[in-house]
Amino acid sequence: MIWVIVVAVAVLALVTVVVARRNRSPQSSVDSFRRQIDALGPAARRTVVDQVQTAAGREPDPDVRQADERRAEPDDEDGPRGA
Amino acid sequence: MARDLAIDLGTANTLVYMKGRGIVLNEPSVIALNRQTGEVLATGREAWQMIGRTPGYIVAVRPLRGGAITDFEITERMIRLLLQRVGVSRFTRPKVVICVPSAITEVERRAVTDAARRAGAADANLIEQPMAAAIGADLPIDEPVGNMVIDIGGGTSETAVISLGGIVALEAVRVGSFDIDAAIQNYVRREHGIAIGERTAEEIKMAIGSADPTPQESQAEVRGRDLMTGLPKTVILTPEEIRYAIEDVVSSIVSSVIRCLAKAPPELSQDFLVRGMYLVGGGGLLRGLAQRIERETKVPVRMSNVPLEAVVLGAGHVIEHYDALKGMFMGARR
Repeated sequence: MIWVIVVAVAVLALVTVVVARRNRSPQSSVDSFRRQIDALGPAARRTVVDQVQTAAGREPDPDVRQADERRAEPDDEDGPRGA
Repeated sequence: MARDLAIDLGTANTLVYMKGRGIVLNEPSVIALNRQTGEVLATGREAWQMIGRTPGYIVAVRPLRGGAITDFEITERMIRLLLQRVGVSRFTRPKVVICVPSAITEVERRAVTDAARRAGAADANLIEQPMAAAIGADLPIDEPVGNMVIDIGGGTSETAVISLGGIVALEAVRVGSFDIDAAIQNYVRREHGIAIGERTAEEIKMAIGSADPTPQESQAEVRGRDLMTGLPKTVILTPEEIRYAIEDVVSSIVSSVIRCLAKAPPELSQDFLVRGMYLVGGGGLLRGLAQRIERETKVPVRMSNVPLEAVVLGAGHVIEHYDALKGMFMGARR
């Protein structure tokens, strides 16, 4: 009996999700596109640049520092160029 | 808590951007293995220094060719070691965005995401290199204007027209700066009868290689092994010879740029004349290449301020704005 209830609830949940997705307002796709375009704009880029510059002035991440310390890098020769 | 990462998994170099910190790793995509036991002996710059100089039991390999994984197991081990070096462990599994060439197949795509997940990523998503390059080169791709980016990597060259956050036209060829090195190796072997290694060929390219005549050209003295006698031998190479040697590769790159321009909608085409095209990637540093593309297309070509880092910086921007930009991942739009 319990299994019948579980299956019924699962089916109901699935139907609710499908219906909700179908009836999603067109406004949500507009908002999503707007968010994407805004995130590519100059204001968003400025945030990233500031964040990275601030981070550059901070103490290095302990995880990264430990990993770097484990391996002393030779710097007498540059690596190849090319991406 | 692991910080999310953006990875430019290039044929030549692998760069890693950590969320909120910037670029934390920039190493050649090379791994050195013990041929007998299969153990990893070195990765990155250390392994790169071993190329062509190893004893019989060590092999230094590049597990990617043409932007695609050629050896899944070795790539996974390389990614795992690189991620460990930036602090990823069994208990800190970050979300990862990986830049890949836009022309890779579904199977190749799956190989990259699987390798990243098995190497320790909680979730791995892919983004096309030209798109990441355009973001990293700071092009106004949020505007309804034509932005053209030419990304010349180690194994692939991709040209894309981008507007309003999407790729409008794209042209990709599996030809890059490694093919230029190979062309130099073949030329020296054929015309001068000496064998040179890939690192020497790369040094020749960087010293005197050019796609178009440039001012103040000089010759280069090259040492290799005489194919007839087996003895070390020195020859002098001129920039004209190198231009001749790499002509096929350069023309193939320029032709793909021209094909991409031809695919662009007319409304965007007119923007290129004013805004120009942006060159990124290590291959774009070849002397005279920008001028050669400009001469053949009649469109101004500008070099990005960060040609080697543009792709990973663009992917880093995506990881910083993950929720807003997750629609840009490969597969998300299809």
